[in-house]
Amino acid sequence: MAQKILVVDDDDALREMVGLVLASSGYHPVYAADGFTATEMFREINPDLVLLDIMLPGQDGIEVCKQIRSIAGTPIIMLTAKGETEDVVKGLEAGADDYIVKPHQGAELLARVKARLRPFGSEATTVAIGDLQLDPRTFEVKRGNSQLSLTPLEFKLLHTLATKPQQVFTREMLLDQVWGYQYKVDTRLVNVHVQRLRSKIEDDAENPKYVMTVRGHGYRAGSDFS
Amino acid sequence: MIAWFRSSLIARTVFATVLLSALALVTLGGFLSFTLANGFYQSRLATVLDETERAVLNVQNTVAAASLTDETSLQTLVNSVVPSLEITTGSGARQVALLRSPGQPSLQLLQSPISADLDLSAIPDELRETVRSSGDVLSYTPISLIKDGRQVPGISVGAPINIPQAGLFELYLVFDLQAEQETLEFVQGVLIVAGVAMIVAISLVSYLVTSRIVRPMENAAGAAQKLAEGKLSERLEERGTDVIALLAKSFNQMATSLQNQIQQLDQLSRMQRRFVSDVSHELRTPMTTIKLAGEVIFENRENLDPALKRSAELLQNQISRFEKLLADLLEISRYDAGAVVADIDLHDLNSVVGMAIASIEPLAKSKKVEIRVELPNKAVEAEFDSNRIERLLRNLLSNAVEHAEGKPVLVQVGQNRNAVAVCVTDQGVGMSKQHLERIFDRFWRADPARQRSVGGTGLGLSIAKEDASLHRGWLQVWSRPNKGSSFRLTLPKRTDSVIANSPLPLPPKQVEGE
Repeated sequence: MAQKILVVDDDDALREMVGLVLASSGYHPVYAADGFTATEMFREINPDLVLLDIMLPGQDGIEVCKQIRSIAGTPIIMLTAKGETEDVVKGLEAGADDYIVKPHQGAELLARVKARLRPFGSEATTVAIGDLQLDPRTFEVKRGNSQLSLTPLEFKLLHTLATKPQQVFTREMLLDQVWGYQYKVDTRLVNVHVQRLRSKIEDDAENPKYVMTVRGHGYRAGSDFS
Repeated sequence: MIAWFRSSLIARTVFATVLLSALALVTLGGFLSFTLANGFYQSRLATVLDETERAVLNVQNTVAAASLTDETSLQTLVNSVVPSLEITTGSGARQVALLRSPGQPSLQLLQSPISADLDLSAIPDELRETVRSSGDVLSYTPISLIKDGRQVPGISVGAPINIPQAGLFELYLVFDLQAEQETLEFVQGVLIVAGVAMIVAISLVSYLVTSRIVRPMENAAGAAQKLAEGKLSERLEERGTDVIALLAKSFNQMATSLQNQIQQLDQLSRMQRRFVSDVSHELRTPMTTIKLAGEVIFENRENLDPALKRSAELLQNQISRFEKLLADLLEISRYDAGAVVADIDLHDLNSVVGMAIASIEPLAKSKKVEIRVELPNKAVEAEFDSNRIERLLRNLLSNAVEHAEGKPVLVQVGQNRNAVAVCVTDQGVGMSKQHLERIFDRFWRADPARQRSVGGTGLGLSIAKEDASLHRGWLQVWSRPNKGSSFRLTLPKRTDSVIANSPLPLPPKQVEGE
């Protein structure tokens, strides 16, 4: 069955056009023209991915993003006409996994969507980092018996770091391996998600133990859990 | 303490006033004291000379009037007359001495009558000599006497007296000036007390007066400082109609107009930013639809008849040109609105240069231009916004490839202690000096007739210049017609530091040598 993608945009023409592009690649687009409809639709149809415009009448994209995140870890890709730092960062902090700046190419849109819907490789195995157990089949992270709720992207980020605890990952490497970017360099994407991840798994996000910063290079998995 | 003194206008003013007043008071007091002392002395001297004259006359007359028969009666007379001249008490106290002049035939009987407590050192030899040689005139000298264990000033007056049958004598009267001295000391005491009181009063008055003037000035200075720090609502209290009030009024007017201007500018800048943001959104949304639709048509162009196919191609090209122009326009508007925030992080310039070259490689290949790269062996790390710097370098590279005329383009990277640099050099058409001056102007093209295959918007170098200054860096250019052009970007290693000099020469040595 075709994967359902919820396209949220107040511009009728663009919404339809994006739908055409998605449909031509075998996805099943569902539409919402404003924020309230978007959250309702999300609950109703439980899409596999959400394409979300930031500027929406009524409830804006940031708010919709927060509401969806409060109930599900479904991949969210923001569509932004602005590309301004603060809007992008706001959106990412609200829980969006990725963003696309308008005007974008159809190919770029499809690549982003595909990357977010790509399932974990079957060879992925359960790994541990400190007292955290990561199970890639169920996307579950357990600390002892309590389960932590990470989005698939956050899980992938942590899993990537935990698989090679000796390696320092540059932001470019993480963009390639976690987001599936080839050339684009946007450190904000990595930085904001590392912050979100830390706020969920670290005892003290200011003083991280699981995801360490290597200044000037990138990040690595923590090794000191005394 | 010294610092406080230096910084306090009041302290310095009061100190100077007190110092100068004290100087004036001491001078005045000294003058008064001297004049009084002299006055007392002179007036007493006149009395003293008068009294002495009478005393001398008295002795002379008595001796002359007596009919003296023998030495014994003369002695008796002298012994009774001379001591009678002595006054022992009161302010006119005087002592007396009748001394025989030396070099006289000595008489056995005639003794010199001298006041009992008179110290003969009160009659100095110099005075005696003066008396002897002066004839009938009185001679005097100021002396100092010891009285009741205290030293007091005095006057010794002497006159020669001729006593028949006995020869030449000198009559001396010694007066003390204790009364005058006491009066003078009392007056001096009063002067000192008055002077000290005066200084205290002056310091108090000068403090009050200075404060009244300096305080408002200090307030004004403080307010001006706060205003300079950006507290635009700072105002001074306006009271009265004097010059201080005028200062406060002018200051407040200035502050108000400054505040209005800044608010206006602020609002304008906000409006412009808002406008840019709105236009951005309003244009980009239809642009995206057009672009996506164009792509769909373009991808299926093979199914269309030739005229429609060509139209699809033209549409596709112009959409991307329009898109670039739109992006550049929005970027430059963002700079104009001051809405640009750099995403600064530590990066290796080598890798950013590498990425920029990789993205320009297809264009270079189509133009058959070789790109030569000279990178240092180790990482060239600096703090910058890698997206902006990569865009800037892409811009320089595409310009260089565009104008290289098939000759190689040289890319160099260098670093020194506090700066990193990239230099992009072509050996192509180059530019004249007039052209060079306008190279960073918006929409300016060196040769209007020249068609650019890369479809530059004419804003690339303007944005590049803005990007460089956003990083507090330099973007400099060297060019000679038919020799080529060289663009050098220099960035500080740390964003808070300042570039002293660039690690790379401009133009590069290879070019300079030609």
